[in-house]
Amino acid sequence: MDCRGEKGTPAVAPRRLAVIATIYRYLSHAQHIADRFEVGYPYEGRWRRPNTRIVSLYVDQRPEGDQSRDRAWEFGFDVYDSIAGALRCGADRLAVDAVLIIGEHGEYPNNDKGQKLYPRYEFFKECVRVFEQDGVAVPVFNDKHLSYSFGKAREMVADSRRLGFPLLAGSSLPVSYRLPDLELPLDCGVQEALMVGVGGSDAMDYHALEAMQCMVERRQGGETGVRAVQMIEGDAVWRAGEEGRWSRDLLEAALSRSDTPCGLPEEDGRTRDLLGAGELPGLAKNPAAYFIEYRDGLRATLLMLNGAVRDYCFAARVDGLDAPASTQFLLSPTPNVTYSASLVHKIVEMIENGSAPYPPERTLIVCGILEACLTSGLLGGKRLETPDVDVAYQASAESQHARA
Amino acid sequence: MADRPKIAAVVTEYRKYSHAQHICDRFLEGYGWNGRHHHPPMDLVSLYVDQRPEGDLSSERAARFPGMAIHPTVGDALTRGGRDLAVDGVLLVGEHGQYGTNDKGQHLYPRYELFKQVAAVYRTSGRSAPVFNDKHLSWRWEWAKEMYDVSREMGFAFMAGSSLPVTWRTPSIDMPLDARVTEAMCVGYGGVDSYDFHALETLQCMVERRRGGETGVRWLDTYRGERFWAAHHDSVWSRELFESCLARSHTLAQPRAGFSHVLPTLDEMKSLEDDPIAYQYEHNDGLKSTMILLNGVVRDFNFAALLAGRRHPLSTQMYLPMPPAHTTLANFFSPQVNNVEQMFLTGEATYPVERTLLTTGLVAAGVESLNRDQARVQTPHLNVRYLPNPESTFWRT
Repeated sequence: MDCRGEKGTPAVAPRRLAVIATIYRYLSHAQHIADRFEVGYPYEGRWRRPNTRIVSLYVDQRPEGDQSRDRAWEFGFDVYDSIAGALRCGADRLAVDAVLIIGEHGEYPNNDKGQKLYPRYEFFKECVRVFEQDGVAVPVFNDKHLSYSFGKAREMVADSRRLGFPLLAGSSLPVSYRLPDLELPLDCGVQEALMVGVGGSDAMDYHALEAMQCMVERRQGGETGVRAVQMIEGDAVWRAGEEGRWSRDLLEAALSRSDTPCGLPEEDGRTRDLLGAGELPGLAKNPAAYFIEYRDGLRATLLMLNGAVRDYCFAARVDGLDAPASTQFLLSPTPNVTYSASLVHKIVEMIENGSAPYPPERTLIVCGILEACLTSGLLGGKRLETPDVDVAYQASAESQHARA
Repeated sequence: MADRPKIAAVVTEYRKYSHAQHICDRFLEGYGWNGRHHHPPMDLVSLYVDQRPEGDLSSERAARFPGMAIHPTVGDALTRGGRDLAVDGVLLVGEHGQYGTNDKGQHLYPRYELFKQVAAVYRTSGRSAPVFNDKHLSWRWEWAKEMYDVSREMGFAFMAGSSLPVTWRTPSIDMPLDARVTEAMCVGYGGVDSYDFHALETLQCMVERRRGGETGVRWLDTYRGERFWAAHHDSVWSRELFESCLARSHTLAQPRAGFSHVLPTLDEMKSLEDDPIAYQYEHNDGLKSTMILLNGVVRDFNFAALLAGRRHPLSTQMYLPMPPAHTTLANFFSPQVNNVEQMFLTGEATYPVERTLLTTGLVAAGVESLNRDQARVQTPHLNVRYLPNPESTFWRT
């Protein structure tokens, strides 16, 4: 990796970046991500100073605590009042080498599915318009899911393919540390998968789904798309478990990786088998289960268990293994959130190499799963066929998470 | 189930988040391990608690687990009220509790005294059993050495130490066996005669794997306050290793409002840290190791080392999922308990107690140096030579 400050690095002009953000405020995603391009970040045990420079910023909203002007002054870039202005740095042609779209946080309405209508698609389309008008396109990073709408997300990925620019998207969970450092072998047979997540929708269920997707996409035959989904809530989740809709063994495996069982452990510090002791229903008072039927027959389930645990754990039954494979996706504490440094390094890799280290189809399929699951929930837990979520792709053979 | 080993626990106190609670509860309640809720294949049958402060949990545990009886003396716990040793393993957890401090500021935990009572039962019974001693052996070197010598003379398996060497690592790496280590460092947090021990064990579990194994320590220097910053400025220890340790931290303190993750400058670190401490010591084979405590800068334990033939430092964090701020369980005790279980089952320690004998002596030497105006302490008595377990024993599955 080309890093300023490392001996022996040839003098190459820094890559120019435009940042397109909803807001830029302390602990917003824009602050976590964009700041690292200015102050550096730790990766593989060294403080990296990427050979990049933010040259322009567009912020959609300036709430109290807005940092856009302070950052512009300190780091010497300009704030523009349009996305095209930022991409062209006020001139008449594209004037940056890469674009970061960070559309997380800010005041935007929700739709009837509870999805926050962040304007990532709209931001992205503005960039595409500039690329098309100027006849040149550059790599784009899109933080979190591409859009609340699968249709819009699909159009974004299609645009990147049509214009031939690298697109990296998604959550930082897939690139964070894992406890243990589990990676499913490429082309392994996965019989069933289960993820435990917490937090609100559609922010945190998204992270949990993408964490699960980055594991199961490595299965034999690669990703094939999703045939149907269903989302149920409340006591129906426990009944579904009794009926074998999700695997109790996989839930035990996932929970065995949790550092945050609630209830009695909080009272007196004791370790606790929440599942075996039958305490889950009392703790997770409003659980949700997201059922995913993939086209190749794999069944996967996300259990959102607010009140029972506070971390993100995965388990899967894999051919040739006697016991489930399981791990925790580590979310390190605020304010450092070191997992976002891992994500920023992937952005730098894309900018340096001209290709995304893992495919945006991962995030695309998760957009489709999430939107369809939330629609199912709105329809009272109806199973929905998803013929349009026909997203097929191959995982990156190389592991992309923090492990060195 | 007659052949399940029977275990006695001898502890200073049993309350929420005391070490005894973390360790004994894992034997009673089980714990998450290798993808399931694991119940140790042995029974904690007796308990001696030296103090019962407010919040004592021992009675509640004994009531809920009637297989575990509370005994009034260490001897009774080991003999289960009879004449001879009646257990197959002993947990000695002498951390937490009110025991006073000496004029050097050392906590006078009675690990040696409790150990002697255990050994007395072994002698009268003509039989011994493996012992696990939580944390360092004793605050006094001579007593620690005696504990070690007794275990060797009587021939029982003896394990000790911190959970740092066995917890998760981010990333999950070990020191390559037989590596040529030229300098090593741990940057951690905590105080003298407490978490310094954890940081020293973090260092030692890595450097003991170097070529030739551990050779013992020749001398130890300490640096505190302005003397620390001067030494840092003068590169008494490697600045590259220091930066590498900070780059492994998940809890780097922030000098500037509105920023979430910048690398503090030296001046910024001075404003964040009002009591910096380092112990630097030279091993008998020439290796220099530096243990740094920076409470104002990090709240985790990070290791880095320079290796011959490697361009950048080898580095990692020994990760502690620490309640109550970040977790509900102190699960770094799980791999420690699991290693102890293996010792109880096989009669063999999974890692050498000499590691903890050496770190015990290093803590005492550090305290001594700090009490003598940071004068160098010669440590001919720390001529502790040993080889590591070639297998990795930290948590990685």
